[in-house]
Amino acid sequence: MSWLPLPAPATGRDPFEQVFGLRENLFEAWRDFSSLFWTRRLVDPRVLELCRLRIAQMLGARYPQSVRTPEAQRAGLREDRIAALASWRTSEAFGKTERACLRFAEQFVLDARGITDADAAAVVAALGDAGTVAFVEALAIFDGFSRFCSSLDIGERA
Amino acid sequence: MIAPRVKAPATQSADPIQASPLALQPELLQAFLRLYGTLWSHGELDQTSKEIARIRNARTIDCPICKAIRFSGARREGLSEDVLDRVRDGWEHSDLTARQKAVLRYVDCFLASPVEIGGDLRRELLAHFTPAQLVELAAAVALFMGFSKIAVALGGLPDSIPVHEQPTPICPATS
Repeated sequence: MSWLPLPAPATGRDPFEQVFGLRENLFEAWRDFSSLFWTRRLVDPRVLELCRLRIAQMLGARYPQSVRTPEAQRAGLREDRIAALASWRTSEAFGKTERACLRFAEQFVLDARGITDADAAAVVAALGDAGTVAFVEALAIFDGFSRFCSSLDIGERA
Repeated sequence: MIAPRVKAPATQSADPIQASPLALQPELLQAFLRLYGTLWSHGELDQTSKEIARIRNARTIDCPICKAIRFSGARREGLSEDVLDRVRDGWEHSDLTARQKAVLRYVDCFLASPVEIGGDLRRELLAHFTPAQLVELAAAVALFMGFSKIAVALGGLPDSIPVHEQPTPICPATS
């Protein structure tokens, strides 16, 4: 559990919600924003989930690695593909769009200025202009709030 | 200058946000503005701490927009350009306050390697901020970093923009 002094947890309460809930109105506004990527299906949820989990892996963020987004599961994303995620560059489990998005996502985390025109063009070709905007905003949330979890030491969901 | 990666929407709007590619996703944009307004105008953490964190992030990520903006709320709290000039590499050796240095130490760790925030920094932060304020600081840095990276990744920005003051973000009226 986080190093922040917290009220006694309600049984089974999600650790991310328990921490972020200390700033309740901010958490609600965050949830309203971050849920849109999934509920409005602005990008294929399987692609988004793969990028979300890859970013969490890169940042050593335990909480986001321990959860699965229902929309991605309902869209058919299986655990065997998630298990291959760390080796996506050499694995045959990932298609052209997924590779383009994972390459872009990794560079986004490492250094957004290092994203090349070719990296970006591959994503735009796959997702279109509006889809790319949604994708990049989703990456910002995945990156920022994986770091949020790591920096506050928010552990796995039970 | 990084070339624009997507086409901005056709609009006559003078609002730079509404004229930017972000307007290609209007529902997302409105939800983001509500989130950002909540952070800045309905928070528990002082404007100065958030502004120092935002500027440190902007200079680290090297986002021309974020580096140029100064929010009026922090100015009203007394945050001067002279202080912000010290929010650069080497800030450890400046005469910034201990509270300001705790913010900067956290931002630098957050951006470089957030898993390495250890006991000393945790104690330092808890000496200056409540747990709720620290959650707000963490969320703020996450959003600052995210917004800077969005701007950089979507491209189309000039290399430099003059420093200018803007109103502190508020929640837009819901339609």
